[in-house]
Amino acid sequence: MKKILIIEDDAVLSEELCTLLKNSGYEASRVTDFETTADQMRSSDADLILLDINLPFTGGETLLQEFRKTSDKSVIMLTSRTTEIDEVLSMSYGADDYITKPYNPTILLLRVSAVLKRLERSGSAKVMYQDAEVSGVKGTLTRNGNEMILTKNEMIIFQLLLDRRGEIVTRDDLMTTLWDNNEFVNDNALSVNVSRLRGKLAELGFEDAIETRKKQGYVLR
Amino acid sequence: MRFSAYLKDRLPAIIIFVVSLLLSLIFLRAYHVITEALAVLCVILTAGAFSVFLWDYLRKKPFYDKLQNCINELDQKYLISEMVTSPDFLEGRILADVLKDCDHSMCDNVALHRREAAEFREYIEIWVHEVKLPVGGLQLMCHNDGNSKYSEQLKRIDDYIENVLYYARSRNAEKDYIIKKTSLKRAFIDTAIRYREELQERGIALSTENLDMDIMTDAKWLGFIFSQLMGNSMKYEATEITVTAEETPDSISLRFRDNGIGIPESDLPYIFEKSFTGENGRTHTRSTGMGLYIVSMLCQKLGHSVSAKSVQGEYTEIIISFGKNDFLDVQ
Repeated sequence: MKKILIIEDDAVLSEELCTLLKNSGYEASRVTDFETTADQMRSSDADLILLDINLPFTGGETLLQEFRKTSDKSVIMLTSRTTEIDEVLSMSYGADDYITKPYNPTILLLRVSAVLKRLERSGSAKVMYQDAEVSGVKGTLTRNGNEMILTKNEMIIFQLLLDRRGEIVTRDDLMTTLWDNNEFVNDNALSVNVSRLRGKLAELGFEDAIETRKKQGYVLR
Repeated sequence: MRFSAYLKDRLPAIIIFVVSLLLSLIFLRAYHVITEALAVLCVILTAGAFSVFLWDYLRKKPFYDKLQNCINELDQKYLISEMVTSPDFLEGRILADVLKDCDHSMCDNVALHRREAAEFREYIEIWVHEVKLPVGGLQLMCHNDGNSKYSEQLKRIDDYIENVLYYARSRNAEKDYIIKKTSLKRAFIDTAIRYREELQERGIALSTENLDMDIMTDAKWLGFIFSQLMGNSMKYEATEITVTAEETPDSISLRFRDNGIGIPESDLPYIFEKSFTGENGRTHTRSTGMGLYIVSMLCQKLGHSVSAKSVQGEYTEIIISFGKNDFLDVQ
């Protein structure tokens, strides 16, 4: 389970963020004492830090600058300041991403998982689903020499399900990810894409690989 | 200042002079002064009076001519007092002094209001950032509790807050944007995702074409512009939104087209004006007439041009053209 440290001084926001992340399968913890934020950042074993800019005692930008001298851990800046200047500054201080308040929860989760994935990707080699090889570049699934070509949409859906294998992926998450990839599909199109993907997986011998959870989403087994 | 006009202005003085001259002549005649002497006296006095007027005219003419010239040519008329040099005659000096005092007091006043406007704007910015915290908190609560009923209203609040923020920014003389290489596609997708639920609820289909381009703009401002256009499309019953970009040698044009109710031809020239609501604003959902106005102000500040085309009942198309500047295009 990935660990995320939340540094946000608005108690309600911080708590709700924590709940959101926990519900989405992360291990989240919060900083509540802002006098020693820098030390807590350093000593934390989190994989990702969500860092607010407007903090008491030391501001987020300063904290990040200091933190970057000793660590290259992923940091996403959170802010209610919305100018491009703020964003560029944060990025130049070494933030991995920048999210503005109020957060759209789905987008927030998308960004979090994107940053964490970037982290993982840099290390691992082949992506596998059971004994089938997944090639995002070619858009194919290969099992025992049988190559199945997936469309762009099917690939996006499959990869998201695979990234969170065994967990429920909501239709909302799938939709947002598709839209994020310039595929502005509607509800029907999503259902069609999922059922086509099911068919293709079945052809490769993975019967009932995608399970539907009523009113919740899908789970890849 | 023409001499004739000057003399006309001195008409009472001239009449007094002529009358006193005539009276003197009658008086002298009564004492049997000879006609030749009277004629010489007439010529001398008239010439003297004329010289006085001419001298006075020539003394004042350069000052007033310069004053009039300046006021006609000045872009900002209130700068006139800076251009006036104090002349060597009394009325001119009085006028110049009064102008200077006037200007001084006006400058103080303008500075005061400018400061007040800046302070107000700063407060708006701070307030917006503050109010976003509870809105963000509520949005997360809605999501965490699985209650999406309130989300849409919160989204509306957030949109209105953004409007205030960008209105304040668009009115501001200071530069709080940065123009940098921005992916047109990314900016559009980010806005589209923000409005995904509403778009899908209304069954609006989005399509994009040729957006794989980088333009020089402020990404945040562009995002706001997109959100305004999308908001309008939703308000005015569109079911399809098509966004295309086109590159010409010196600019990139973005066409944001929807198949909504369109804009009446008679309203079209005014849609970017402040507080203009037009027919659609009256017959459809309440409109404040601010959205497109703010869009055009932002475009103006960023150096983009914005225009609109529409056929009522068929389509509305907003065209934004982004200039291409090689100087800005440094890596």
